[in-house]
Amino acid sequence: MIRVLSTLLSHYRRHPGQLIMLLLGLWVASALWSGIQAINATARDSYARADALFDTQLDQLERRDGTPFSRAEYHALRQAGLPVSPMLEGEIITQDGTRLTLIGIDPLTLSSDNALAQANTSASLSDFLTPPWQTRVAPDTLAALEIARENASAATPTLADGKTLPPLVLAPALPPDTLIMDIAAAARLLESGDQLTRIVAAPGALAEAPPGLTLTRATTLASPGQLTESFHLNLTALGLLAWVVGLFIVQAALGLALEQRLGMLRTLRVLGVSGRSLVLALSLELFLLGLFGALAGIASGVWLARSLLPDVAATLNSLYGAGVGQELNLPWHYWVGGLAVSLAGLLLAGSGVLWRAARLNMLELGQMQAWRSGYRRQLSLMSIAGALALSSALALYGWLHFQSPGDGLVAGFGLIAALLLASALLLPPFLALVLKVLARLARRRPLIHWALADMQLQLPRLSLAMMALLIALATNLGVGSMVGGFRLTFLDWLDQRLVAPLYLNAPTEQYANIDAWLADRQEVFERLLTRRSDATLQAATTPEGSRSLGTPIELYGITPGESLTPHWPLLATQQDRSSAWAAFSDGAIFINEQLATAENLSPGDRLTLSAPGANETLTIAAIYPDYGNPSGQVLMASPQLAARFDAPPSSMGLVLSDDADVDTLRTALRERFDLGSDALSDQREIKRIATEIFERTFTITRALNVLTLAVAALALLASLLTQARSRRQQLAPLWALGVPRALLAQLNLAQLSGAALATGLLAIPLGIAITWGLVAIINVAAFGWRLPLYLFPGQMAVTLATAVGVALLAAALPTLRFWRASPRALLAEEANQ
Amino acid sequence: MLEFHQVHKTYTTPQGPLNVLDNVSLRLAAGQSLALMGESGSGKSTLLHLAAGLDLPDQGTVSFENQNVASLPEPTRARLRREQLGLVFQQFHLVPSLTVIDNLRLQARLAKRDDADWTNYLIERLGLHGMEKRYPEQLSGGQQQRLAIGRALAPRPPLLLADELTGNLDETTAGEVLELLLSLVRETQCALLIVTHSPQVAAPLDRCLRLSHGNLLEAAP
Repeated sequence: MIRVLSTLLSHYRRHPGQLIMLLLGLWVASALWSGIQAINATARDSYARADALFDTQLDQLERRDGTPFSRAEYHALRQAGLPVSPMLEGEIITQDGTRLTLIGIDPLTLSSDNALAQANTSASLSDFLTPPWQTRVAPDTLAALEIARENASAATPTLADGKTLPPLVLAPALPPDTLIMDIAAAARLLESGDQLTRIVAAPGALAEAPPGLTLTRATTLASPGQLTESFHLNLTALGLLAWVVGLFIVQAALGLALEQRLGMLRTLRVLGVSGRSLVLALSLELFLLGLFGALAGIASGVWLARSLLPDVAATLNSLYGAGVGQELNLPWHYWVGGLAVSLAGLLLAGSGVLWRAARLNMLELGQMQAWRSGYRRQLSLMSIAGALALSSALALYGWLHFQSPGDGLVAGFGLIAALLLASALLLPPFLALVLKVLARLARRRPLIHWALADMQLQLPRLSLAMMALLIALATNLGVGSMVGGFRLTFLDWLDQRLVAPLYLNAPTEQYANIDAWLADRQEVFERLLTRRSDATLQAATTPEGSRSLGTPIELYGITPGESLTPHWPLLATQQDRSSAWAAFSDGAIFINEQLATAENLSPGDRLTLSAPGANETLTIAAIYPDYGNPSGQVLMASPQLAARFDAPPSSMGLVLSDDADVDTLRTALRERFDLGSDALSDQREIKRIATEIFERTFTITRALNVLTLAVAALALLASLLTQARSRRQQLAPLWALGVPRALLAQLNLAQLSGAALATGLLAIPLGIAITWGLVAIINVAAFGWRLPLYLFPGQMAVTLATAVGVALLAAALPTLRFWRASPRALLAEEANQ
Repeated sequence: MLEFHQVHKTYTTPQGPLNVLDNVSLRLAAGQSLALMGESGSGKSTLLHLAAGLDLPDQGTVSFENQNVASLPEPTRARLRREQLGLVFQQFHLVPSLTVIDNLRLQARLAKRDDADWTNYLIERLGLHGMEKRYPEQLSGGQQQRLAIGRALAPRPPLLLADELTGNLDETTAGEVLELLLSLVRETQCALLIVTHSPQVAAPLDRCLRLSHGNLLEAAP
């Protein structure tokens, strides 16, 4: 066996390029896949730790206006016999500027089922409760505190404001960037006086909310893991795509290595090596190469994940408010899984090779005729499989058509995958047909006829690389158009919503005075007061009947008027825009698209909203887009929201006259009402921050997209390099017959760029279909909003140029080698043919 | 028509310089046939490659129709091969992507001398009638070599160069192929230079030369 294996491996000594390509394909596929899995595993670990702590494990009591509790109110609740526990939450800033969440608890009253309470059992409770207290912190938060792990125990880091934290105690179960300590120590650090942020209780311990408070049950709170599921599914899909494209390289390299070793295999069989031993030796070879490539890939994947994690963490934080550690935290199954996926991919890519080796005919090997009919059979099989994949895509589309808009995230990805698969499978038969027709038409132009006929012969070896290129180009175009369309929509939406040049965020109690003062200012054209509160959507009445819901939602109040109303975007209205605004001013509501999608609501439906002391049934007058908001939101006119739900003011937009001096007004407001430096925000600044968050959100998508395209280019280069020698053998006789080398080189480039152009042309409708799938199905299911389908002709032209550019780039090296080959070398090729 | 004048050709090998042709001179007149014999590695194929302008001499001149081939730029040498020469190789070198008929007409079309009547005549004479739409691998060795001869003669070149024409064929097929070649050469009145190690191939030709240690000697077939 060892001798057979070493004989097989000796091929790579003569053809090291093939070995390099094989390992490169494995490395790239494994690196991209394992990199993304490392990010997902780290994020999931962070969510699990956050879940285990508070958010989804405890019922919460909060004030309806979100203002803090006082200790006296907490004591009153305890004296009334309610099993509640106080909690103080705030932010501290470390010396390097990192913001950490500080949570102060009372372990004596906190539910013993909670992860923190359990964590305390291992330490002395009195150390936690009494000065100098303790700071519980996860090891991956230490970097922000600039403390090495070995020095962490009992360390007392200094914060940006000069205060010091109580001695540190490591608690790996805690989420990242979160510090836990006794409520007394937290109050001292946060300078919160006798304020409490919220009051919590064990799940189900309270039968109902005490008067004036909102009770949010743990079961109704979505965990970060649930919220971000679609984001991770998205990442996994891109990782899978890169993995598949990487395997195309492996397949191409393995296929060529087998083809060139057919003679060797036949000789080995003739010399008495059994078919089974041969397959076993090939499998062993695959395993050894796979192990090597996978280990290198996983190591690079971890590096890639480490580089991308800060951006991903920032994205998840800005999109979902989910905290993800900046340090990789990889469980054991990540390593085993990465290795298994890489080896499984290799087995998948190599199964064809093993199958052919098992069916090796000792006498008829390598015969062109058998090969030609074999390829025709392969094209037929590809057409059938492609048609089946296309039928699956159509079936999925039909199924999705009958589902509610928010359903079918996995089916949406399935539809896109089926479309990609169908197009990839149908590409070689399509190209073969086009080449056949063109060759027939070009019969009187001998060189063009030869080039077309020769391309048909090259197609089997190039088809895998072309399939990879098609998938990468279409995905690139599809995702690029989606992101481009989203950017346009988002910026437009920002312009429509942010109509005031100046926004004010003041303490709640000051708004009335500020509003009165601004009313007398000439330069203030309009004051757009907003209000915010929470409520529960108890029921919805639609033409189909009434439904009980119990969904927590946001209530948001705006001031309809001359400035806001004409611009505020609406997606659907009961009658027309002006009727919708008239109804709105009279007390009807607008709902955001997320809520409409999630609960299948339309204008005209009636919603019953409840909040402590208020229970209202209101009519939906319109649906509006609300990009980036993970929650359902109900919009009301500010005065209506104040009257019906007693919602406090949350901000105020100031529309100013053209000649207003913004800086003078800003200074006057600050001085008169003693406002902080961050109380007034410039519209441009808000837009800049929003746009920055938007751009960061798609950083990883763009990075993976470019990487996938690079992998596809590599697959094409691999295919061309591995067959460069046999290509020269094809071209040498033509040169001998009198076709100049320059012309042959040009033809060679034209052949490939023509095939790539055809692939690029096919990628355009496929890319548009992917964009449609993303904006109309996946976005709706994942985020709750549908985007308009934007097409960018410039991007399509870039796709075509990329296709041709990638092909020319990949073909350049083999062509240059042919061009620079000495006549003697060409003669040697010719003689060796 | 074809003239070698004091031609030297040396190759660099790992073992040192290898003197393949040493002061070789020869003349081939229009319509004449010449066999070039010699042992393997004697330089026969190198001489043929020089005659076709596929390679260039280190010293001396190779002239075709009184034109020094070495002085011609590469595109002109390519045109010379395309329009004035017919080449037949031992391994046939048919284009696998083209059918029999397209292979046959390839060089004639490249030389812009495609003549349908002549092509049809050649098909008949080559015994390939009814096989026009087949691909090269669907033919026997003898049929493939006949097709290669047809391809070389399709543009009616004034000079036909053949390298080990029958080297890959059995004795009977080789005889049939040679007979066909000579008959067609007579019909087209082109000059013929055949490189061979077979006395049977050399026998029917006008002249026979032997290459030995880089030197050319008159020889009896």
